[in-house]
Amino acid sequence: MSATSTTGPATSPAASPVTGVGHLLRLVLRRDRLRLPLWLVGLGGSIVASALAVPPIYDTPEKVAGYARTVGTSPVSYLMSGRQAGLDTIGGIVANEISQVAQLGVCLMVVFLVVRHTRAEEESGRAELLRSTVVGRHAATLAGLVYGVTAALLLAAITTTSMLAADLPAGGSLTYGVGLALLGVAYTAITLVSVQVSTSARGALGLAGAAVAVGYLVRGIGAMQDNALVWLSPFGWAQGMDAFGDERWWPAALLLAFTALLLALAARLVAHRDFGGGLLATRPGPPRASRLLHTPLGLAVRLQRGLLTGWAVGLFLLGVLYGAVIPTVPDLIASNPDMADVVGASGQAAEDALVDAFLAYIFLFMAVVACGFVVASVLRLNAEEEAGRAEVVLATPVSRTSWMAGTTAVALVATAGLTVLMGLGLAVGYAVVSGEWDQVLPQVGGQLAYLPGTLVVGALAVALFGLLPRGAGVAWTAVALVALQVVLGQLLGLPDWVQAISPFWHLAAVPTDDFEVVPVVVLVGIAAALVAAGLWGYRRRDAVAG
Amino acid sequence: MAVIELHDVVKTFGTTRALDHLDLTVEQGEVHGFLGPNGAGKSTTIRVLLGLLRTDSGTVTMLGGDPWHDAPTLHRRLAYVPGDVSLWPNLTGGEVIDVLARMRGGLDEARRREMLERFDLDPSKKARTYSKGNRQKVALVAALASRADLYLLDEPTSGLDPLMEAEFQEAVLELKDEGATILLSSHILAEAEALSDRISIIRAGRVVQTGTLAQLRHLTRTTVIAETDRPATGLATVPGVHEPELHGNRVTFDVDSDHLDEAVRALSGLGVRSLAAHPPTLEELFLRQYGDEVTA
Repeated sequence: MSATSTTGPATSPAASPVTGVGHLLRLVLRRDRLRLPLWLVGLGGSIVASALAVPPIYDTPEKVAGYARTVGTSPVSYLMSGRQAGLDTIGGIVANEISQVAQLGVCLMVVFLVVRHTRAEEESGRAELLRSTVVGRHAATLAGLVYGVTAALLLAAITTTSMLAADLPAGGSLTYGVGLALLGVAYTAITLVSVQVSTSARGALGLAGAAVAVGYLVRGIGAMQDNALVWLSPFGWAQGMDAFGDERWWPAALLLAFTALLLALAARLVAHRDFGGGLLATRPGPPRASRLLHTPLGLAVRLQRGLLTGWAVGLFLLGVLYGAVIPTVPDLIASNPDMADVVGASGQAAEDALVDAFLAYIFLFMAVVACGFVVASVLRLNAEEEAGRAEVVLATPVSRTSWMAGTTAVALVATAGLTVLMGLGLAVGYAVVSGEWDQVLPQVGGQLAYLPGTLVVGALAVALFGLLPRGAGVAWTAVALVALQVVLGQLLGLPDWVQAISPFWHLAAVPTDDFEVVPVVVLVGIAAALVAAGLWGYRRRDAVAG
Repeated sequence: MAVIELHDVVKTFGTTRALDHLDLTVEQGEVHGFLGPNGAGKSTTIRVLLGLLRTDSGTVTMLGGDPWHDAPTLHRRLAYVPGDVSLWPNLTGGEVIDVLARMRGGLDEARRREMLERFDLDPSKKARTYSKGNRQKVALVAALASRADLYLLDEPTSGLDPLMEAEFQEAVLELKDEGATILLSSHILAEAEALSDRISIIRAGRVVQTGTLAQLRHLTRTTVIAETDRPATGLATVPGVHEPELHGNRVTFDVDSDHLDEAVRALSGLGVRSLAAHPPTLEELFLRQYGDEVTA
């Protein structure tokens, strides 16, 4: 060859800020060759199953009309799925039924995948190795963007295909899929900004996760009160495309403009920050450890402080928001007399029944959300062990049992604390709007009635860690299954024995149904047995290193 | 009395055999160098001693107890520095030192202050901002600031600069003077040479040589460099002489220590103008031990 093959970078035509993005993407796809398909199969599978399950259930015009009258005017449905267009058609019903799984799913998927390949890589130092090769400053961000967009498009394609397979109108199916994809793209952009802001992967996950929660809540409350609040949320814009209704396309432009704005911001932040740095600077800390840090329990509390604070604030606010909408639930009866027939009562009794049903669902929903905390908290054990930090503690006189019990105790006690906090949030939200403070005890008590289900999920994670160190991540699958049972169990007509796998299925639907002691005792017993199994298993196995 | 005694220890991970009938004895009050290339089984041995890994077969005794069953009790008397130090990113270095030392059962305040100063470590920085060398220092200070009978040090100086390395060597010799036993794993031969009373060389999961430096040298060859009046062409036929290299009147060769006499006599017949001989360095011991791979 000639001497030009050795030209330096100054004259090399390839030295652009995004050089190397192809290599990065190939690496991302190689590393996630199992992870991405699992997300798509898990979420896509639930969506396909739901889309195919709906039409046979609503097989007469009367049944479709019934859905529009009942579910289509239910406050819970507004809060959880927004105001879906075309609820008097099969397409609208399918869209409404899958919306929670599809919309929240696509957002959480891109948040986890994008943080994993951007800030987490940078924090671990692996990205530094890559940046020392011929890789441009913006290449990692672009690779994250392409990856997030690809994942969102694939999920949207699965969704649209499954709608077409269920013989739904092509226009609506396409519009819905585009809305879903653009929602995922918008949250990809939000995630790319949050990974610039925080220097830790956990912090970035927290920021982006909070953005998902806020967007979802704002849309839900806006839909419930039928006001312009929905237009402050990307969820609202995606739904505003009115798939299976008017099918308007201008909200798509809104999503795209929002995405472009955030991407420009992310690019600006990348260009102005140091590698490994963020906007939130790390400050010096105390040179001595406080008295609290003497024991494995104290250390576990300290290590989980950030996680716990974030969840406490988030869940309390979630409670306040849900509590604040309780007083508006009875209004829905006034606007829809058929609702009274559904709840099988009239007048005050109907209002009370409706509020109770609403509360029962909120309690259950928040208890399932708390499963996310308890599993994240317990799996810190796994993270500590794999990073080699467990090893240094276990090289001191601290026994394996007391090390593991410290974190387990923090996780389970904190879960109980968060449950009380969620109940308090509901009561406070309710009181602020209604001016009545008499609901504190019933609402804290009601929320606590669902705690045993959350504890069983946490205890399962403890058992998995002790018995199957490499498989402890399976606990997240348990959270996903429990959430699916709660959201889709009835729709999919899952047989009882399948639904019975979820601990929540066994609990009384307080306050609609009376509190039952037996399932609570049984579930707490199961949780205790799982924790004991985990502690026993961890005394017998090798401590994993590296 | 032996502080550490592993006998015929086997440990497998799946199909890989990490420890293959390993024997190792560390006596009370000695600095024992534990040498081997990467992946030879040094860290696995130390993790077995910490009771983190359960052996498939063989017997392990440490400080008179069984590390798997009595780990917490035995750990009151030992301090450990891991090879690859990972710290809690949101705790400061000072906090990490306190946490570990207190969990170990107590902190010598004066020693903590002294070690922080000697290793020039800022304890108020968050662990995530420390460099590799500074993380290593945190682990070292945490171990050295508490008094122990046994110190397990797994490649403790990786990432330290030469100044800090010297400081570390001095600290280890002080510990030894106080009567502590130290197992020092390393692939840095100079470090083991400077500190160790006895050395064990591990390779592919088994200890292939063990002894004092003098004993190990006895097993090996002396390097001789000589200048003679007449070229030393006939040296290759002298028993025990290996690979003589001739450059005019200058010759370099290795000779088995028990054949040194014959070699020197052969040289003196040629008229010696200058003669230099040195005992094998650990590098050379090492090269011989792994020579088949190095020359292959």
